[in-house]
Amino acid sequence: MKESGRTHPAVLVAIWVLLLLAPYWLGLVGGYTALGARVLVLGLAAMSLNFLLGFTGVLSFGHAAWFGLGAYGTGLALKWVAASTPLALLLGTLLGGALGAVLGAMLVRRRGIYFAMVTIAYGQVFYYIAYRWNALTGGDDGLRGFSRQPLEIGPWHIDIAANGVAFYYFVLACFAAAVALMALLLRSPFGHSLLAIRENERRARFLGIPVEFHIWIAFALSCVFISFAGGLYALLNNFADPNNLHYSLSGDLVIMAVLGGMRRFWGPLLGAAVFVVLQDYVSSLTTNWMSFIGLLFVAVVLFFPRGLLGIARRRSLA
Amino acid sequence: MSLLDVREASKNFGSLAAVRGVSLSVRAGELRAVIGPNGAGKTTFFNLITGAFRPTSGSIHLDGRDITAVAAWRRVTLGMARTFQITEIFPELTLAENLRISFEVASGLRLRPWISRATAAKLHRDVEEMLDLAGLAAKAGRLVGELSHGDQRAAEIAMALALRPRLLLLDEPTAGMGEQETYDVAQLIRRLHRDRNLTIVLIEHDMRVVFHLADRIAVLDQGSLIADGTPAEIAANAAVQAAYLGKPNDAGAA
Amino acid sequence: MIQLLLFNVTNGLIIGAFYVLMALGLSLILNLSGVINFAHGGFLVLGGYLAYTLTPFLGYWGALIVAPLLTAVLGVVIEQVLIRRLYGRDPLYSLLMTFGLAFIFEDATRYVWGAQGLPVTIPAFLGRPVSPSLFFITYYRLFMVVVAAVAVTLLFLLLRYSRVGVRIRAGTLDLETVSTLGVNVGGLRALNFALGIFLAGLSGVLAGGQLGLDPTMGSGLLMPSFIAIIVGGVGSLPGTLVGGLLIGIASGVTAVFFPSASEAVMYVLMALVLLARPRGLMGEEGLMT
Repeated sequence: MKESGRTHPAVLVAIWVLLLLAPYWLGLVGGYTALGARVLVLGLAAMSLNFLLGFTGVLSFGHAAWFGLGAYGTGLALKWVAASTPLALLLGTLLGGALGAVLGAMLVRRRGIYFAMVTIAYGQVFYYIAYRWNALTGGDDGLRGFSRQPLEIGPWHIDIAANGVAFYYFVLACFAAAVALMALLLRSPFGHSLLAIRENERRARFLGIPVEFHIWIAFALSCVFISFAGGLYALLNNFADPNNLHYSLSGDLVIMAVLGGMRRFWGPLLGAAVFVVLQDYVSSLTTNWMSFIGLLFVAVVLFFPRGLLGIARRRSLA
Repeated sequence: MSLLDVREASKNFGSLAAVRGVSLSVRAGELRAVIGPNGAGKTTFFNLITGAFRPTSGSIHLDGRDITAVAAWRRVTLGMARTFQITEIFPELTLAENLRISFEVASGLRLRPWISRATAAKLHRDVEEMLDLAGLAAKAGRLVGELSHGDQRAAEIAMALALRPRLLLLDEPTAGMGEQETYDVAQLIRRLHRDRNLTIVLIEHDMRVVFHLADRIAVLDQGSLIADGTPAEIAANAAVQAAYLGKPNDAGAA
Repeated sequence: MIQLLLFNVTNGLIIGAFYVLMALGLSLILNLSGVINFAHGGFLVLGGYLAYTLTPFLGYWGALIVAPLLTAVLGVVIEQVLIRRLYGRDPLYSLLMTFGLAFIFEDATRYVWGAQGLPVTIPAFLGRPVSPSLFFITYYRLFMVVVAAVAVTLLFLLLRYSRVGVRIRAGTLDLETVSTLGVNVGGLRALNFALGIFLAGLSGVLAGGQLGLDPTMGSGLLMPSFIAIIVGGVGSLPGTLVGGLLIGIASGVTAVFFPSASEAVMYVLMALVLLARPRGLMGEEGLMT
């Protein structure tokens, strides 16, 4: 493919330099390293959602469920299975990914607004379980009693537990791996088939693409990615609570993707950065932050429906 | 032996019978036109052939194989490609990307998470060739949604050709086109038929195009097949004339 | 035991009636305009609070009618200013818009009326139990069910026999054809939106009398209403009616035997229905796929 929609190499370099140096410049602009990690994690979550929303054209409005499942899975694994951060992350990702794949199979025939509605309702099932199953999840108080463990890689010992900067780089490495995989997939024939479905489902079908099957795979992959992000979120906070699965977080993730530009690969990361920083700032100023977030939703829909990166009209996608 | 064989196909939508017991047989290498007044059931008939709908009764056979229960996308892999009355393309992708995706799917790569450089180069060459064939080489990098109506129609035909079909179904390929564009598309279809010996079934309103191109013509009216024959036979057929001139009483008598 | 069962079935019926009122409003708007109105719960709360403010001036009965009407008027204003422009665009945008509006509504309610709960005074006779043996059934509970039933009946009569109602139903099936017949689709959608919001406002007033008012009560009713629509089948108003009653009664009955599972049962019900009938109980092929 001509790849005319590829991010400009200079922009790409700028993004990675900013991310790599974040612990050093965040403090200068009034931020802090944990905020940077939060942007990365929620950015990855929004990009995972956008894999479906922006690149397959499927409107999932319950994606927080898989995010939260990853978070709880990771937390529970650390608490009950083994004191290993990578293993816990893997188990959390598998939990969300597997449940996403199973439920996705039941959803793929639905479209548009109906799909959105059913994903919300299914997502709330998991919220409800996390909220009610006190013995396992800690219920409304959230899951506590676990903490991320230092990494032991061969002879090296990396203390991501106590050292915030080390943890940031751990998150960044995970983010980079996930994002690279996502980019690879989107550039492949499989990724192109997803674009085809987004652009015109009927044409895609009469090109010989089994549309439901491809949507199912995209859904499952998206769940795997977002569960991974959820697992990182649990590690970041050493905590998971039912709000990690609630549909209002799903709404936040969608608005991040739209705010940044859901037709752009890096759009959701930008959206997440803006959203997280605004939320952090506004909630420290006023108790009416809900109105503020609400106004942000309304403003994005009215003024930036193509997102911040979509303002400059793009020539091509992919 | 016929490539496409439709046997007694009917389709009802609730109480409305859109297609009534139509049988049609298309030989390999034939160019068959399907004509009929508006609402005659032509597009529904196409949808039965291509698998957009299951027939209420009757069966569809491709190359002797019963494909009545075969899903639409799989019929494409069996060699059936189609275009639509209202152009169906990927509007926010470039023309080259539209064709690239078609070739990727046609090459059985649709689930591949990566491809080799050699494969990518091959796909690139395929796209260039097809652009030349369709006369669209200059517009490869343009978003298809921004092309002229005529170019979009041509792009859709090119996408269908990229699937390397044995049977090509075109639903009103000249719809909404000007004089010159109509001529260009008709020439393209003739080349495909003559030079590549492609089997084509064509729904068309423009009678000059139909009588100029078709080997045989099938006429549908109110869901039924009222005539099937060579252009000369159809031109002389009283029932066809009645259907077109809108004299239902005469049609019954014919 | 029988009393407990009866109590919970009645409870379930009342809850079901709320779900039905709420879900029917959502359904009306969803079916005709393709908008999932996340702010529906916000309108419900607003209806309740308006009734609270109006009762000293109009009395309970006046507020019961006027508060939902005012809510509906506000609904139309919001529809005309903000939501109308999103019709025909990707449903994503109306979803986000109403999502944001729900936040604003909740915060605004808290700002105007305060975060703490407020009681709604109901006429004294409605507060009395129906009979000493059925002490748990107050007249108010019966009253709520009756009002809900009347509202639903009127709605279905309106849709069945009035010109506007017929147009709304036709528009649900095929809006394009309706518009080519010369019907003012914009006006129809606004009216339909008002109708849906009126039902939300009405359930707000009714709920306030039973549970008191609280800025967050709307979002709590939203999810059961979604499930009522999904269980009944998206696109079918009778389905929504059945779905709402079904999950209301199911959770009432479950409360007798497994109190902690009374909420879970609606999710279980949804999963079972969707497994057996992917389009819901009364959903039709081709509608809202």
